[in-house]
Amino acid sequence: MIVLGIETSCDETAAALVRDDRAILAELVLSQLEEHRPFGGVVPEIAARSHLEHVDRLVAGVMARAGLSFAELDAVAATGGPGLIGGVMVGVMTAKAIALVAGKPFLAVNHLEGHALTARLTESIAFPYLLLLVSGGHCQLLAVLGVGAYRRLGTTIDDAAGEAFDKVAKMLGLGYPGGPAVQRAAQTGDPARFALPRPMKGRPGCDFSFSGLKNAVRLLVEGLPRPLGERDAADVAAGFQAAVAESVAERTRRAIALFRERWPEGRHLVVAGGVAANTALRQALTATAAEAGMEFLAPPLALCTDNAAMIAWAGIERLRLCLTDPLDFAPRPRWPLDPGAPKARGAGVKA
Amino acid sequence: MLVLALDSAASACSAALWRDGAVLARRFAAMSRGQSEALVPMVAAVMDEAGRGFADLDLLAVTVGPGAFTGIRIGLATARALALAAGKPLAGITVPEAVAAAVAETERRGRTVLAAIESRREEPWLQAFDSDLRPLSAPLALPPEAAATLVGGPVVVVGDAAARVLPHLPDAVAATAPPCPDAAVVAALAAARWAAGTALAPEPLYLRAADVTPPRA
Repeated sequence: MIVLGIETSCDETAAALVRDDRAILAELVLSQLEEHRPFGGVVPEIAARSHLEHVDRLVAGVMARAGLSFAELDAVAATGGPGLIGGVMVGVMTAKAIALVAGKPFLAVNHLEGHALTARLTESIAFPYLLLLVSGGHCQLLAVLGVGAYRRLGTTIDDAAGEAFDKVAKMLGLGYPGGPAVQRAAQTGDPARFALPRPMKGRPGCDFSFSGLKNAVRLLVEGLPRPLGERDAADVAAGFQAAVAESVAERTRRAIALFRERWPEGRHLVVAGGVAANTALRQALTATAAEAGMEFLAPPLALCTDNAAMIAWAGIERLRLCLTDPLDFAPRPRWPLDPGAPKARGAGVKA
Repeated sequence: MLVLALDSAASACSAALWRDGAVLARRFAAMSRGQSEALVPMVAAVMDEAGRGFADLDLLAVTVGPGAFTGIRIGLATARALALAAGKPLAGITVPEAVAAAVAETERRGRTVLAAIESRREEPWLQAFDSDLRPLSAPLALPPEAAATLVGGPVVVVGDAAARVLPHLPDAVAATAPPCPDAAVVAALAAARWAAGTALAPEPLYLRAADVTPPRA
């Protein structure tokens, strides 16, 4: 079984071919980073234009690399949401058109389900497992019970973790995107020099919050001499990163307890999303999982950030269950994995 | 020549299968949103109705704009992927050209044709053609009151922004043709353009830079 996957929901245009024995036959990812960098964030219209310019070429590229014809596919999958709708539409229309010509099923994949099922592509683990999805647009703890079956245990009530990294990087003049920039600066910093809050720590439940921490960083930076010295910037970056890691680890510890209670057969803590690339966060989560006696899994970096292999893989998982979609599927800017979870404020609403 | 054409660039959605002057099958619906849902089923329906496969096609065609940015992308993403998967060539046709071509010859006689396309901005997109539909100007974003700078003498106005332009032209009539492109017309135009070697590349014609919100702190 071979599925073509297409991802266009944010600022990466990607296509991949994945086989049901978990082999990635071909993969191409084109980052739009340089197009958005001058604006300090993703500009939706620029993103949509860029996706249209490149997506068909990338699809042709993976087909050529794998030496496959469209007739040899078993299905065509695309991210159907959530995400920037102009971009999602480009990928969805591309996939629908190829599916129609090739006479193959079309699969509209929830981008978050792509992230959630990546651990089954890389490690072949069984359901259920606990997932921390932490990216520029999302920050959630989910019990992954099966394909299409999720229980949200916690979510951000304001900003996503990645947003907080971007904003702090901007305050410190470190550039965009903020995640790698803050991590680089933090390497030489002293995380203990400035006292920053550990958001939500000790509160009941597993929800996240990053806007208070962000504002605390803003106040701290405003009180520092200008222009900001390299030492000060490094110490703030290190302090912020440590606060995020400690807060996320504490929230995850609570989620593990909740998960264990309800699904005692689950053994894995999986992290996914671009912020999972952060070393301090990974260290904190590794320790948290070890303490709790759970196995910690973090897919390779290229499969943590947005990619099309995860969309193709989620497509395979759905195709096995005959969960195909009609060609009149409407792209979904918002698409929660757990529609039964109560609405959260802010960025959490998107998912 | 068997041509499959589609349009979703303005306030409609259509697909048509055309062969040597005859429309074999056609689907058309007026809509300002929802093209991402309607378009591919329309393509499937015209292929089914005509009993043709994608391998039978000689050419695909699509409107490239100017029009609604999202609509332009829906049409182009679909057409480019259809062409890629079918291994067939794809021709681009502009929206003003497609709406002007639908104006009846009797309405065009002795008049300049002005296509006025909605931009959802103060300035609609305007393009003038002579009575034989040869372009007299490039498509431009102009305030309605500046339409007279493009055309002199008797005019027939067509397009979904025609009502905004008509009051500013002294000797103008509204065309009875549909205000939005029709894939059947797009197919005929594309066949002629392809034969003449003057078809456009299937690239979007936005005619306006992306709106960029200044970065927030």
